Amino acid sequence: MLCVPLVALVIVGRQIYLSTRYGLSTWKGGGMGMFAAADERSNRYAKVFLVNSDGNRDPLVQLSSEDFDVLSRALEYPTRENFLRAAKKIARENWIPAYQRRPVLNVNSDGNPIGAGDKSYRVMMPSEIQSDSEGKKSSMEIQFWKISYDPRTRDLRASLAETFAFTSEELFRNQTKQKNS
Amino acid sequence: MKSATSARAAAVIARQPRSVSATGRSFAGSSKFGALVESARNLDLFETVSLLTLVLTVIFGFDHWLFHIVARICLLTFVLYPRSLRTPVLWLALALTGTITIILTWELVDNHKYLLDYWLWVLFVVHLFAQPERQLRILLFSARFLLCLTFLAASAQKLASPSYRSGEMFEYYLYVDPRFAAFGKLIGIDPSVGEAVKKRTMFLRSPFAEVQGNDIQIVGSNRARVAALMMTSWDASVQLAIGLLLLIRRQRTDQIAHILLLFFIFTTYIPAPVFGFGWILAIMGLALAKDKFPKIAAAYLVSFFAILLYQLPWRDWVLKS
Repeated sequence: MLCVPLVALVIVGRQIYLSTRYGLSTWKGGGMGMFAAADERSNRYAKVFLVNSDGNRDPLVQLSSEDFDVLSRALEYPTRENFLRAAKKIARENWIPAYQRRPVLNVNSDGNPIGAGDKSYRVMMPSEIQSDSEGKKSSMEIQFWKISYDPRTRDLRASLAETFAFTSEELFRNQTKQKNS
Repeated sequence: MKSATSARAAAVIARQPRSVSATGRSFAGSSKFGALVESARNLDLFETVSLLTLVLTVIFGFDHWLFHIVARICLLTFVLYPRSLRTPVLWLALALTGTITIILTWELVDNHKYLLDYWLWVLFVVHLFAQPERQLRILLFSARFLLCLTFLAASAQKLASPSYRSGEMFEYYLYVDPRFAAFGKLIGIDPSVGEAVKKRTMFLRSPFAEVQGNDIQIVGSNRARVAALMMTSWDASVQLAIGLLLLIRRQRTDQIAHILLLFFIFTTYIPAPVFGFGWILAIMGLALAKDKFPKIAAAYLVSFFAILLYQLPWRDWVLKS
């Protein structure tokens, strides 16, 4: 008779522990904290960069729905392991650059664009053609951001919560192992 | 086989006219709600709760192919063999599949899916026992426990969260969450405010934009601020009250808790399209109210239909108008 209530209590306790210690979203994990905090995917996002061997970074924005799903899991439960899983999935795509670079738009604090900045990125697109995994030397950086809103000042503030860097060895370890065996 | 099926079907049919005729007698001269109250009184608690839960698993169950298949097979089994509803195997299949589904994607699963899975396990345990008194005790204890847990844990998380207490959460969602767009428009928040906020949020999110100081001012709306503060205090206080009142286990406090729970179900799931949550809360409320408060039980029956009606595309109608 008490087994279900006991399990439910343990899960609530686990959710509170993971939320406090590892940043699990208040909304998820069975802690009944839906609509309890501005702390879920509406307020959490990631910027994913492919880092080339020369140190240049290219943002990856054209992610597939499967990539988004894995990334969403990491955003809800932002551990290194979960972001590594997302990074591996994203790195499996064959990312190729478009011809033109896209300048980074500068935006003022009123939310109005004020022109292109000096910085620019290559627009990366996933290609259907699968490249040889040995040719992939890029590493990956995933920035985990949070948005907060101050109702008194009406300011939306984005803050970088953590940056996760993954080496090419980490990203392609399994593929290399499979190839060697 | 055929004769066994016919016998089972006859047994089910034989049960129905009794309640219909009993209900029929009381219909004369009474209001429609009175008739509904009488119907609620005549319902078999276990069959009603089991059937409503089975329907819930089919229409608002887990979003996973494995669960879809199992829930539909269970429904079909019930249609062909109505007595299967009282067998533990059916509930074990649903509970086990639900648990597997949760384990596979636990970081993404909503809280009400956990609640549904707990309830499926409760029904499995209930149907393991042959004695109706024991079944009733487990069912009522579990319904009360899960309602208390849901509302007390929810209100504790809310009261502990600064972004909830300040009204930040509801105000932000009134601007950016598409689920609240129609509700926002209904209470007088211009949709252009939300659109502008979303656009500014996109600048923050995009790697192709650099926002000065990562800080953006939004126009906002005073109406949204007031609405958010009202939603914040209403939501937390109602949930805390339901959880605490159900803990006390007295006739009067239970009655007030049921009225608040019904109020919560009827109002919350208009703006928040989490229909499965509303449905499971109503099942638990019905289980607790069925024998003690027939009028409240009838209101729970109405709430099931209300939740289904809330799925009308009224949000699109409001946004297009």
